[in-house]
Amino acid sequence: MTTYFADRRPLDRNWLHRQWRHLRLWRRFFAQAVVRETHFRAHFVTTLLVGLVQLGLGIVPTLLLFGFTTEVHGWSRAEVIALVGVFQIVTGLIATFVAPNLNRMTTYLTEGELDGVLLRPVSSQFYLTLRWINVAELTNVASGIVVLVIGLVQAGIVPGVAQVAQAVVLLGCGLVLLTAVWSAMSFLAFWLQSVNPIGFVFLNLMEAGRYPLVFFPVAVRTFLTFAFPVAFATTFPVQALAGDLGWGPVAVGIGLAVVALLLVRLLWRRGLLTYSSASS
Amino acid sequence: MNAVTRNLRVVRRMTAAEIAQQSVYRGAWIIFMLANITVPIISLLIWRTALASGAELPVDERYVTTYFVLLGFVTMATSSWMAGFLATDIRMGKLSSWMVRPASLLVGFVANNVSEKFLKLFALVPMIGIVWWIFRDSMNIPADAGRWLLFAVSILLGAVLVFTIDILIASLAFWMDDVSALVQARVIVASVLSGAVVPLALMPSWSRGFVDHQPFRYTVSFPVEIVAGQLSGRELLAGLGFQLGYVVLFALIARVVWSAGIRAYSAVGA
Repeated sequence: MTTYFADRRPLDRNWLHRQWRHLRLWRRFFAQAVVRETHFRAHFVTTLLVGLVQLGLGIVPTLLLFGFTTEVHGWSRAEVIALVGVFQIVTGLIATFVAPNLNRMTTYLTEGELDGVLLRPVSSQFYLTLRWINVAELTNVASGIVVLVIGLVQAGIVPGVAQVAQAVVLLGCGLVLLTAVWSAMSFLAFWLQSVNPIGFVFLNLMEAGRYPLVFFPVAVRTFLTFAFPVAFATTFPVQALAGDLGWGPVAVGIGLAVVALLLVRLLWRRGLLTYSSASS
Repeated sequence: MNAVTRNLRVVRRMTAAEIAQQSVYRGAWIIFMLANITVPIISLLIWRTALASGAELPVDERYVTTYFVLLGFVTMATSSWMAGFLATDIRMGKLSSWMVRPASLLVGFVANNVSEKFLKLFALVPMIGIVWWIFRDSMNIPADAGRWLLFAVSILLGAVLVFTIDILIASLAFWMDDVSALVQARVIVASVLSGAVVPLALMPSWSRGFVDHQPFRYTVSFPVEIVAGQLSGRELLAGLGFQLGYVVLFALIARVVWSAGIRAYSAVGA
């Protein structure tokens, strides 16, 4: 019989094993989300329809703008449409994997749900940021890819393998950076208690990603590259696909993503120190 | 005491109570208003860039700047968010307890609307002031007080119009189980037709007649146009007439639907 005193195999033998275990766990979360979605088919259809309408609506300003001119700062209508496609992909991915979690941050802290998370043998930050997945939002990623392809074809851009690789890596960096920013804003809940409206500010600021970086004044460009790095998620990937970007910005993106992850990790640790359970 | 004065007193008391209650969330209001002006500012920068790079817009830089600076304020002042809540109250039978009270449930929603807008003003006006100051060299500022008075009247009428449209949509909950799709549809349609996304002046010329006369123009765009645009006296008068007409029309329809709904109402658990 095994008792608490018996020798047990440690949960993680080393750092790599620990990461692998979290990856397997995340795969389970995803499988569970897919099963869950099959129970709520109406939700799937509504999400798809709302996503399509919002995509159409999001293109309206761009179409109107290019009704008055053929190019703005070197960007043609087709290229901006490709950019709207990338924007749809990024917002779709965030809505699938990140938003369902960070929108719960206030409840985690004010209702004491974090207590239960801290007791589990997983990284609490991993669990809070990636536990819930909204599979239906992946339809927006699909429609985004369609729009991106339409834009690229209209613009006559045929990216090579290297360009696609650059774009994918940059988009990944953009996702990590944006998630880090939203996480950091949400973790302020440790000090401010209620942070529910933070999600609104984040999503509204994201809207800037619908337009190429050069459409903004220089000060705003800096802000959108380094402080609220939406440029890495939309403008840079499209420029990479068009072949206008070298590997330099890709390296900068990876560097920034690593720094952002470390900073958020630090903020989380610091926040946990101030956490005094809501239930005790 | 007649019904109108009594209702006004109820609204005043309930508004005061709501303000006291909502003041707890001061920080949240500031964050909300920050989100509220983000998209207008992004649009402002985009259209100014388009103008600067030689786009042939039907309006000038002053119009675009004034329009987007004021937009955040006007959308807040004329907004209404009750449809979902009212529909829930109808569906869950919360309406029952109001039917034995001396005032309508709608009075509570009026008080909620007025109190939240009052608190939002304190967060929003300083922010708009800062944006205004940044762009002060290219703003259209009408000198005569008459325009500002018209602006205020038009905002008030716009707020009433949006509120009645909301009552109308929520009233359908008397017959439908779920109106959230309708609410969503109204938000989406209104965001384009009210001029909250793109100034209606920039809509293509083939849509002119329809865009200029549909009701949503009078919920956001028209009040802003009074300050930003060069509307002639005639156009101002016609616009106000249309706005007043839509308010009366929608109020009548909402009243008919609401009272028909009350008669059809059979409460959950009653």
